[in-house]
Amino acid sequence: METNNKISLDKIGKELPFAVPENYFEQFASRIDEQIGYKSSPKKKILRPWMYMAAAVFTGIAVLTPVFYTTSNQRTAIQTTENYESYVLSQVDETVLLDCYVNDAPAK
Amino acid sequence: MSQPEEDLQQQLNSPKKRAAAFSSLVRSYQERLYWHIRKMVLSHEDANDVLQNTFMKAWNGLDGFRGDSQVSTWLYRIATNETLTFLANKRMRNVSSIDDVDEGLLSVLRADNYFNGNEIQLKLQQAILTLPEKQRLVFNMKYFDDITYEQMENVLGTSVGALKASYHHAVKKIEKYFAEEE
Repeated sequence: METNNKISLDKIGKELPFAVPENYFEQFASRIDEQIGYKSSPKKKILRPWMYMAAAVFTGIAVLTPVFYTTSNQRTAIQTTENYESYVLSQVDETVLLDCYVNDAPAK
Repeated sequence: MSQPEEDLQQQLNSPKKRAAAFSSLVRSYQERLYWHIRKMVLSHEDANDVLQNTFMKAWNGLDGFRGDSQVSTWLYRIATNETLTFLANKRMRNVSSIDDVDEGLLSVLRADNYFNGNEIQLKLQQAILTLPEKQRLVFNMKYFDDITYEQMENVLGTSVGALKASYHHAVKKIEKYFAEEE
């Protein structure tokens, strides 16, 4: 008799026949946090070193490109002006130049 | 005392770290304590109320917790006291006899949306309800949670010998209940 009864208890097992609403424990813990006035600090975004490096490279390119471009254009312009003057000077001889300066000089 | 336990107690005693430490304590122990309570009060709504009272009592009593016992033992003690107080109040509110309370608990269980057991599991709950409250506690802690008698002694303040005897009697009564039901 006793053996049969023990088997009955064993048959039932130790699993509890109860359930809880979905997400109950997460919500419960948050409710207690509120009641004790605890606010968890927002999680910091974790950036890996390569992300910092990539960001630095992009920033560098963004800042330096306009500077480089402007300098490069200015240099070309200067070079062009210098070339033109050289060209003009090469096309005229000294006599023509002197005539030009004399004629342009204001009359005293 | 283990190192993690010591660290936890230090954090609980530090005003700056207290809330964060308590929050993680809730997350660590809420499920265990919930089921400890739920097995006694049976309905989810009641278990939820008692669990909330348990943690708020613990929070308000942190200054009184000097680390004489483990945090888990301390929390189990509060949960057990809150549960027994809840059941005593229910009895005071309701009733003319203990049987009425137990029958009330059983009807709550039958109607509870969060009871998902079969007929035989319901019968076991009926059988457990025939035990005196302290014996129910002992039976639940041993049978379902396999808590050692030494741990139970710390929580309930009853000697290991008395706990063993109590569990033994509880099992006999439940077996007898099943035998009479057949």
